[in-house]
Amino acid sequence: MDLQKVDMFIMSNSKFFESHHLNVIREQLIALDDSKWVMVSTVQLKDPTTMLIISILAGSFGIDRFMVGDTGLGVGKLLTCGGFGIWAIIDWFLIQGVTREKNMQKMQLLIG
Amino acid sequence: MIINRNKLYALLFTACIAGYIWLFFNMNDNTTDSNLVVGCLIKKTTNMPCPSCGTTRSVIHLINGNLNSAFMINPFGFLIAAILLISPVWIAYDVATKKETLLSCYKKTEYYIRQPKYGIPLLLIVIFNWIWNIAKGL
Repeated sequence: MDLQKVDMFIMSNSKFFESHHLNVIREQLIALDDSKWVMVSTVQLKDPTTMLIISILAGSFGIDRFMVGDTGLGVGKLLTCGGFGIWAIIDWFLIQGVTREKNMQKMQLLIG
Repeated sequence: MIINRNKLYALLFTACIAGYIWLFFNMNDNTTDSNLVVGCLIKKTTNMPCPSCGTTRSVIHLINGNLNSAFMINPFGFLIAAILLISPVWIAYDVATKKETLLSCYKKTEYYIRQPKYGIPLLLIVIFNWIWNIAKGL
């Protein structure tokens, strides 16, 4: 794919991924066919900052876990009042990383 | 987090142990609505019960054999008690036989909950239970 397009994608979407993912994605995108560009540029990714806000406000109900796709863990969090309140606090620090990992997984399904 | 067999089993087992310890302390205390630092964040901050407030009291009532009052406090107590009883045995069985029946069951449940026709009724149950909890003033 066009180097300019790839770098544009990386620049505008870098906050959705862990820093060590970016190089992998860049190389995969360069190797990718140009016809996939529309698909790649319109992919919907979850914003880690939004997830953090949701985790702080509704973490006790497990909403953050439901939203990133860990439904089973979400149910567990909901039933235990956010893991007696401890897990909810731990998740304030974990959820951004989890969201980035999930975004990477989604990207890999698309281009991997 | 990418869930795999060992991660899920370790998580569930730790949760069960924590649950039993929590129950043990609350049984000895007899003041089930404890003033410990841990507990429901929502209730601590807003003074409003969350959908699963009262499960500890419900499980304690279940242990004492009061099925009716356990249901009246919070029906989720039955679910929690079932998970607490079944999952350690299931994990032990899986670890002993080197199978992953619990993991496949977990994934199947996740798959069903994600479908709106099962997810929305479950969500409604949770919301109804929440309203009931607020009305009861747990």
